[in-house]
Amino acid sequence: MSNEMEKLYNERLERYTTANKNGKPDRVPLRIFAAEFVAKHAGYTAQEVTHDYKKAFIATRKCAKDFNWDSTNINMIYIWTGLIDNIGIRWYKIPGIDLDPNIGFQYKEPKEEDSAYMKADEYDLFIDSPTEFLANVWLPRTSKFMVPVGEPNTYRNNIAWLKGGIGMMQYLADSREAISLLKSERGVVQSVAGILKAPFDILSDKLRGFRMISADLHRRPDKVLAATEAVTPYLIQNALASADPNKLLPVGLWLHRGTMFSDKVYEKFFWPTLKEAIIQLWKNGIQTLWYGEGDWSRWYKYTAELPEGSIIYHVDKEDIFEAYKHLGNKFCISGGIPNDILAFGTPDDVRDYCKKVINGVAKDGGYIMDASAIIQSDAKIDNIKAMTEATLEYGVY
Amino acid sequence: MKVRPGTLIPWEQRVKEYEKILGDKEIVKKEWESLEVLANRFIWFCLTDL
Repeated sequence: MSNEMEKLYNERLERYTTANKNGKPDRVPLRIFAAEFVAKHAGYTAQEVTHDYKKAFIATRKCAKDFNWDSTNINMIYIWTGLIDNIGIRWYKIPGIDLDPNIGFQYKEPKEEDSAYMKADEYDLFIDSPTEFLANVWLPRTSKFMVPVGEPNTYRNNIAWLKGGIGMMQYLADSREAISLLKSERGVVQSVAGILKAPFDILSDKLRGFRMISADLHRRPDKVLAATEAVTPYLIQNALASADPNKLLPVGLWLHRGTMFSDKVYEKFFWPTLKEAIIQLWKNGIQTLWYGEGDWSRWYKYTAELPEGSIIYHVDKEDIFEAYKHLGNKFCISGGIPNDILAFGTPDDVRDYCKKVINGVAKDGGYIMDASAIIQSDAKIDNIKAMTEATLEYGVY
Repeated sequence: MKVRPGTLIPWEQRVKEYEKILGDKEIVKKEWESLEVLANRFIWFCLTDL
């Protein structure tokens, strides 16, 4: 890495980590999460960047350079459908196979009990030993090729496990190399390291599905609660195992279903184990990037219970000025630039909104510029440029 | 909790299965546990990252 690039990287790292800690850096950092937008800008199809992750890495590095980002995630498209296809995972529609090559991947929610990846009568099996349940029952059920323990083994089963394990190792190794190139060629900081999921989201997203978990909350609430408690230590361990060993970057926490249920459900089933996980990471010196998809303003009183500085609070659909009023004294705030303005507004609209957010939220530091939600291919290139220009013009302290 | 977080087949279980270990047991243990971490990561990677 050249001396010039190293200096740029260190400046950006200082800017980003200072803001993460709710401090006041030299200016508002640009930490931009962009998914299929990077394909649009680099001239790739959604199929190319989703099925061939090396193209996603190239496209992300191009965006980081062209838009002068301080920090980004090397692959915000986040899944590699090449691996999905080789394992035979059932829950995605894949661009170029199931979808037009220009449409982003889609998640298929289980509709009925028959299509749930964990059955209603399997809670005890999961609670008793989550890892064994995942390996013996859940993963074989999610895969077109794997067979559950107890059924006759097949060649396709063996190959799916082999390709899955090797594929993950290849992806993780290539991701590390791409992050290193992001640093050495562009001077750009990787935004997060590792992943945490809310225990209730795991049950709802990947095990039971939204409809089935909704019924379970009434039919077997004790089982649901016990399952969230059983899986929590595993999710904490998984987050710590994948976290930044230098403890500079936060673990990513993409929150899904908490806003879709009543206050009572959130209080009893969603919040306690999520809080525990975040606190345990914080006790290990790891911050969590709270990326609440939707409007999480109903839960400010709970979120405010978290230790000061333990999270970076990302704003999606809620009013960022309200978020700042309730949580800005304890946590860095990020995001809040509406994606519809990025998609349908003009560069002047974007500049005006960014200026308004910087003036209202960032005056004492502790704010990171980003869109509300991960940027898709509908965003206009000139509007993403305007987000950078506004930050460089109005975000300097 | 039969299999604790971060493990698949814990060393305490595996070590009972050897008839004998003639050399350095710690070397055998270290390599067993290092692959435990990666294989365990794969199971949970499928749940949290895919």
